[in-house]
Formats: sequence, structure tokens, C-alpha cells
Amino acid sequence: MARRRSVVRRAGSGRRIAPGVLLAIVLVIGGLGLIITQMTRSPAGQAAQQAGDGAAAAAGRVATGPARAGEGFLERLASMWGASERIEQLERENRELHAWRELAERLAERNARYEALLRMPGDAFGEGADISNSIAAQLVLDSGGPFTRTLVANAGADHGVRVGYIAVNENGLIGRVVSVGQRSARILMVDDYNSRIPVMGEASRVRAVLAGQATRPPDLYTAPFQMQAPRLDFIVGAQSLREGERIITSGDGGLFPRGIPVGVARRSGDGWRVALAASQQPIDFVRILPYVGIERPEDAPVADDGPPLTAASSFSSIGRETMAPPPTAPTVMPTQPPPRREPAPRPQAQTPSVEVAAPPASPAPAEPSQPEQQE
Amino acid sequence: MSSRAPSRRVLRAWGLALALASVVLPALPLGSLFAQPPLPLAVLWAAYGWAAEDESGWRAPLTLAVLGLLHDQLAGGPYGLFPVLYLAAYLVGRGAAVVMSAPNLISLWGGFIFTTAVTIAVAALVAPLALGDNVSVLPYAEAATITAVLFPLVRPLYMSTSASMRPQPGLRR
Repeated sequence: MARRRSVVRRAGSGRRIAPGVLLAIVLVIGGLGLIITQMTRSPAGQAAQQAGDGAAAAAGRVATGPARAGEGFLERLASMWGASERIEQLERENRELHAWRELAERLAERNARYEALLRMPGDAFGEGADISNSIAAQLVLDSGGPFTRTLVANAGADHGVRVGYIAVNENGLIGRVVSVGQRSARILMVDDYNSRIPVMGEASRVRAVLAGQATRPPDLYTAPFQMQAPRLDFIVGAQSLREGERIITSGDGGLFPRGIPVGVARRSGDGWRVALAASQQPIDFVRILPYVGIERPEDAPVADDGPPLTAASSFSSIGRETMAPPPTAPTVMPTQPPPRREPAPRPQAQTPSVEVAAPPASPAPAEPSQPEQQE
Repeated sequence: MSSRAPSRRVLRAWGLALALASVVLPALPLGSLFAQPPLPLAVLWAAYGWAAEDESGWRAPLTLAVLGLLHDQLAGGPYGLFPVLYLAAYLVGRGAAVVMSAPNLISLWGGFIFTTAVTIAVAALVAPLALGDNVSVLPYAEAATITAVLFPLVRPLYMSTSASMRPQPGLRR
């Protein structure tokens, strides 16, 4: 009887729909509506998500506390039995490492001399990032879903974390802060499907875009970058990428500082993948580096009395440092030269910079010296 | 001497605990063990099991919606994606229960495989809406497939141990 009462009759037909099914249909429609309303990424939705992150991070700290406390306890206990053998082994390794260290120091010194001779700029770790003010945090939540790859760290706005800061561990890049709560921050990992990071080979300087795949090591796309900026050095560079070469952030685009180690290039079929350095061991603690992306010059214009941004003036802007400055006013009125009977043929490949570089006091040419290769 | 089968209430409690653990455990940084399939999608077992066991009241869909919202929160994604997936599994399970007149292990297993296939299709439609066009449904499909393969092992948690003893959902009353 109770079952009969729990079944509602649909008006106008003899079929019955169970209340559970009816509720499920309503909830599905509500879920779809919820998804659609969040497509605009309203501040209210993001605030709700950040508040939820904070609560989940607190719960995660509590839930993982006992597990972290007992972490490695059994291994430490077992290692006590073979302590003497372990000490001997470590001493042996230490003697070998001394020899390697001397060799490394000699090579580093020689390398420094070569770089000084070539005047090469040094590759700093995270060039542009404020490493001295980095924030240490512990990961308390994983994404736990099949779609996204995010992590939640237990440091938020109260600790100075801002959106856009870079998350690294002792091995390399982990990701970027995409959402900040009061005491928690969500980090988009480099292998998330939404992650696109400009990278380059440390030795070959090949530029590429690292695209996350969420389930496997990220793809290293070289072709799309070349198509967007089809320069010859990129084509040659893509071919010179080497197996096992270290991949670092290139700093292109301004979202990541340059020089943070990402991983090692691995050839996979026709393409390249990166074995991520950060995933060499389970990610537990992270260092969040303050870094604010380089804003476009249009976003923060500076009063400049330079020439207007036109094609003709850009040539003179480029050559400003190497050429004599143009006169502010013509000193001598250009005189009309006598007509030539047989004008000399103009060179085919005449660069505009050469025309601009002509000294202003020289006799006026036969034709107006307007650059022809303006596009 | 015959051993008494656990009551339906006990089985339901164990099933709910497993479903909750499958949402929470992969989100804790306890290593990769808990993040492996079928744990991230073990709620599909509960959705199908409760539907096939003729849970026609409001508790099952509401519990699935709450579990889905919790999963959304932990995953950092927009709210609504996982509730839609879990409730889709529930609705398909209800449909399968009506169609199957005399369910046995094979038919229930086949029904669950069909249910996971439908949720994969739903994910392919809804996930780009929620997470953008770049999202790949392949990880979800892999996890759902492993969940489907392991379904017979967990069936007793969501259904009565003997198919002939439990109420036949498809039977005409």
C-alpha cells in the first residue's frame, strides 16, 4: 500500500511516474541550469567555489592528519635493522660523490669562463619571480575527478597568495594559482587539459607550447607555435630538439617567469612529450612564487614623446639608437635636382631602414623617399 | 547450518559508505592508490544499484545529487556536472529495471554496462558545456569502463545477494 501511495499518477494518461524518477528529472534539469549559469563565471559563483574550497581544505587537513603523522613510520622502523649496512653504503657513495663534485666544480668553472667570454646572460631560476618572498604551503586536496587536474594548498589570501602566482616544488613546475580563498588556493596543474605553457629546450632553445592532457604526459606542441610565428629559427629549432633535453619555461606570454624547470623531453611517436620533473615523487609541499604577469604596453601606457605608432615611424624607432637623430626642422630647403636623362635602376631589395638612415643634410633624391615596403 | 544474508538496510549503509568514500578518498592527497579507477566513479554503482533495486523514493536521487555536488566541489569544477552524470545513471538504471522482467547477474551486468555507456555519452555532451571545449572525456570513459568491469564484485552491496529472492523490479504488480 505504501508503494502505491508513493506513486503519483500523471494527469491525462494511465502511466505512473515514481516520485524518485520525477525528482531525478527535476534535479538533472536543475544541474544543467546550474552549469549554464556558471558558464559566465560570475563573482557570486566563484565566491561560493572559494568558500567551498576553504571548507574542503580544512576538512582535508583534518582527514589527512593521521595519515601524515604515520607516514613512513613502518619504513623507518624497518630501516633500523639494517642501519650499519646502510651507513657503510652511504659512506661508499659519499666517497664516490666527492670525486664527482670536484669534476663538476671544474666543469662549472670552465663553463662560467666560456659564458663570460661569450657574454651570455645567465639563466636564473624563475627569472622575474619574487623567489625570496615565496610562500610555502602544504597540499590538502586533490581534484579527485576524471576531468580536471587541480590541487588545493593550505595557503590563501591571508598568507599573501594571489591569482597568477606560480607553484613549484623542489623538482620543478607544478602549476599556477587560479583561485584563492582566505586560507586556501587552488592550483591548476600543468597536465590539466586547460594548461598551455610556453616552454623551450634549455640547450636547443626550441620554443614550444606545453599542452596538458590530464591522463598522460603532456604533449609538446611545436607546430602550432611555428604556424603562429613562422620564423626560420623556430623551424630549425624544432628539428634540433633532443631526446632527454631539459624543458624550462620560456617566459613567452608573460604568465610564467622564464627558466623554471618543467621536465625532460621524450619522443613519443611523431610528437614530443614531457616527463614532468615535479611528478618524480608525490607532491606534498609546494612553494608559491609571487609573480604577476607582464602586462601589455597598451594596458599601462607611459607618456612618450616618440614618433607616432605608424609603419614609417616604427622604422625610425628601431634605428633610433644606432643613427643620428633626425633634425627637428629642415635646415635647408631641398632643392630640385636637375632632371636626369637616364635614371639609374633602383635596387630591387631596398630595405626601408636604409632610406631612413640616409643623412638628412644630403641632397634630396630624385624621387620622394617614401618607404615602399609598408604593410 | 545456513548463514543469514545481511539485511537490506545494512547493505544500503555499506553502499552509501562506499559511494561517499569513492568521492572523498581520491580527493585526499594520500597517494595515487585511491585516485585509480574505479574509485572516482564508484558512485555509478550506487546509482545503478539503487535504481535497479527499486529505490523509487526521494532518498536515492537526493543522495546522488548531494554526492555529485560534493564531487564537483572537490574537483574544483562548476557545480552540476557530477549530479547530472549520477542522476543520468539513476534514470537509466530505473529504465533498465523496468525493462528487465527477470534480472539475473548477466542481465544486471549488461544493464550497468549500458548505463555507463549512456553516462559517457552524457559526459561527452555536458562536460564541454561545463569545462570548455578542450576537456577530454577519455579519462571518464576509462574510469567508467573499469567500473563496469568490476560491477559483479560489488553487486551484493547494492542489491540483494540472490536475484530470485529480491523483488523483481520489472514484474507487473
